[in-house]
Amino acid sequence: MAEITVAVAGQPNSGKSTMFNLLTGARQYIANYPGVTVEKKTGYLKIGDDKGKLVDLPGTYSLSSYSIEETVARDYLLSGQADLVLNIIDASNLERSLNLTLQLLEIGLPVIVVLNMMDVVDKRKIKIDLKKLSQKLNTPVVKAVAKQAKGKTEIKAMIKEVYYNIKKYSRPEAEIIQYSPELEADLEELTAYFKADKRFTNYSARWLAVRIMAGDKHAEKLIREVS
Amino acid sequence: MEKISLNKLKPGDQGKIVNIFLQGASGRRLMDLGFIPGNEFTVVRNAPLVDPVELEIKDSNISIRHEEARYIEVVVNG
Repeated sequence: MAEITVAVAGQPNSGKSTMFNLLTGARQYIANYPGVTVEKKTGYLKIGDDKGKLVDLPGTYSLSSYSIEETVARDYLLSGQADLVLNIIDASNLERSLNLTLQLLEIGLPVIVVLNMMDVVDKRKIKIDLKKLSQKLNTPVVKAVAKQAKGKTEIKAMIKEVYYNIKKYSRPEAEIIQYSPELEADLEELTAYFKADKRFTNYSARWLAVRIMAGDKHAEKLIREVS
Repeated sequence: MEKISLNKLKPGDQGKIVNIFLQGASGRRLMDLGFIPGNEFTVVRNAPLVDPVELEIKDSNISIRHEEARYIEVVVNG
């Protein structure tokens, strides 16, 4: 029996906490406005013979260090405590949501994308090609409607699948997002630098390189602290 | 087409984002919320005391201050 630690990440109002409650059976207070989850909460669920430990992270649009929520979420993801990430997305607002998804993928943990609020998508007659999305992101994508308790079985099965085939679902860093050739040249140089230095083994070298190029103050601070 | 600051627009105006002249965290934040060059938007309304201004962008309604809108360069449709 294994304990699988799953970080639940998503943007504000993506139904992340509703999904967390559905999966763990918790009765957390859900408000109909963004920003109610400031601290991370933990809940448990049974997945066959295994135990899933779900950590509900605060809702963030991004993983820079704009706010305390973003810092809390990102520090946890970087801490190495989570085996995988469950990324809850408001599927009716797909394009904006994928910004966070790409940042999650860049950190290097396996990510399961959950397209939540599929009822709204269907109502608006929007078609989402799940297979193509999964191919493009190179990561599993599952449909759900947390409010109607739909998707629980599929999500549990996917957590198990990813956990027991973690190698298959962990992407080589360079395969996640390809930037322009000019940017890639600089990224490669920086990545090589971080990789060669033992003090940075706890972090994804590619991730550090990308954040430094983005002028991320938090990443700069992190490097100063480690050095 | 003429490029102007987003804070010069009136409710009902539609256009496209051209550039964001905000550095650091504020610029990053606006991009996180969908203010990316090429994206279309509609000005929905101004708050009673002018600030903030509500915009519809990528199926989301987002309110920002005029002070921030000043640094967003746009072209207006029509």
